[in-house]
Amino acid sequence: MDLTCKNISYSIKDKQILKNVSLNVSGNKFFTILGPNGCGKTTLLKTIYRVLKPTSGEILLNNKNIENIRLKDSAKEMAVVAQFNEINFDCNVEDIVMLGRSPHISFLQSEKQNDFDIVEDALRDVGMLDKANRSYSSLSGGEKQRVALARAIAQKPSLLLLDEPTNHLDIKYKLEILHIIRELNINVLAVLHDIQLACKFSDCLFLMKGGEIKYEGIPRQTVTESSMKDVYGVNCKISWTDDNQAMIEYI
Amino acid sequence: MTRNKTDIKFNILLIVLFITLVFSLLSGISLGAVRISLKDTYSTIQSNLFHINAASLSKSTMAIVWNIRIPRVIMGLIVGAGLALCGTVMQTTVNNPISEPYILGISAGATFGATFFIILGLKSMTGIGAFFGSVISTAIVMFIASIGKNITTTSLILSGAVVNALFSAFSNFIISIGANSDSMMTIKFWTMGSLASATWADILLPLFVVLISLIFFMTQYRTMNTMLMGDEVAITLGINLQKYRLVYMLFISMITGVLVAKCGIIGFVGLITPHISRILIGTDHKKIIPLSALLGSLFVLWADILARCLIDKAELPIGIFTSLVGGPFFIYIVIKNQKGGQR
Repeated sequence: MDLTCKNISYSIKDKQILKNVSLNVSGNKFFTILGPNGCGKTTLLKTIYRVLKPTSGEILLNNKNIENIRLKDSAKEMAVVAQFNEINFDCNVEDIVMLGRSPHISFLQSEKQNDFDIVEDALRDVGMLDKANRSYSSLSGGEKQRVALARAIAQKPSLLLLDEPTNHLDIKYKLEILHIIRELNINVLAVLHDIQLACKFSDCLFLMKGGEIKYEGIPRQTVTESSMKDVYGVNCKISWTDDNQAMIEYI
Repeated sequence: MTRNKTDIKFNILLIVLFITLVFSLLSGISLGAVRISLKDTYSTIQSNLFHINAASLSKSTMAIVWNIRIPRVIMGLIVGAGLALCGTVMQTTVNNPISEPYILGISAGATFGATFFIILGLKSMTGIGAFFGSVISTAIVMFIASIGKNITTTSLILSGAVVNALFSAFSNFIISIGANSDSMMTIKFWTMGSLASATWADILLPLFVVLISLIFFMTQYRTMNTMLMGDEVAITLGINLQKYRLVYMLFISMITGVLVAKCGIIGFVGLITPHISRILIGTDHKKIIPLSALLGSLFVLWADILARCLIDKAELPIGIFTSLVGGPFFIYIVIKNQKGGQR
């Protein structure tokens, strides 16, 4: 799987939200987009998962322009866990996860045993198997997030896009979810807020500011005192442990 | 996994409801101003279908059963299934639990279209008029409701009320200036609904439309399940909902139009039945579509039986009974929704 964004821009009326963003995601690595609020992280993800259409530039999925790929086919390659996970009707957890299979099942075909197995595995991966028959509204925020992740896993994607998947979760669930994702061993492109967690889990970081990617590379080279000052406008001292964990002290 | 458990429950439910439906159809034929025994009913059906002479029956009994009661219960069956289908599909399409043709004023739009065509002298084309009326009112409701960016329960109810009031006024105006002796009677028919005038010839178009739609929507269950997750998630699952929404709304307008043109407005059937189905079996459309249709048929059949049996020698509009049950249920859903804290 190879995802390449070539000079994507996106603007609403006169306001330019993304400016010539280029990036490449491949090699089954964990990529993370960092940046202050309103820098265009979510917009960038949305152009990739096809909710928004870039004003210019192109997005290539496996070297093919994504606009020429059927929605159903791109859904077989990439799955999304977004921020907002509320629904108006009270669905059963298992039914929701089963929806992840829909790109793989053709019209008029019904779910096969294989699909049920995949759903079961996905629920087990996120530790929700015992709650497969619960109603979605009865779940806690962290559990809802895990159901959304299970649905994405059931899609069997080669690229997982995550928009602050650990928002509103306490640190235990944050770590748990990121570990689960890491262990999937597929390409991940995530938007995260927590810089330290991003450094811990990511192979590569993109630091965004004002709709542009300003810095990119492995965490140790990207998260520096000067880049933090530039992107977030904060002064800090950073030290690194031997296992690549960043210790950030804000001044 | 657990699929077998819910499947068994679903199959049992289907069988129970189906048996109840057969029983209700027979009750609908035998109950009324003139009581007709099941045996006579059976003999009449036999003699009409297989030309076996049933000498013991009077001509009038046979006429009541074959020309009045049977078309009427079949119409009830079709109307109930059709309205329930409309409600189910609409709640999912708009992603809002209060949607229904009656509450959103689409039935009123259909009435306007039908009465307008009648006044133009196109009485044979009332169905088409009703279809246009419901398409127009659907478009208006959706437009007003979506002005504030996304459609909320409040904006839907409000725009539904507005459209309802407007189109009811239009059609009542038309009926009033139409000024023939029974124009008041006609207003009652359009606003409260009635199955009384159903004939064999009337049944064909609704039967065709509802059956086709039912089959169509049964094939759409996965897309409709995805709709419950909202637009963004649907796109990430490979489905662009806008396209489907348009087609679904056209189907709903078509069903509503045809049914209103034949039977007037029968409210709340489409509101209640999907909710009961979801309580019984969950949100999987593969199951709630047939279940709602069955429940809708039962509901309308019994409302109609009540309408003609409750008071001697008088026939009440069927809408009274569906609204008596539906109104409180509507309140319950609104309260439940408000409590849920969302929207």
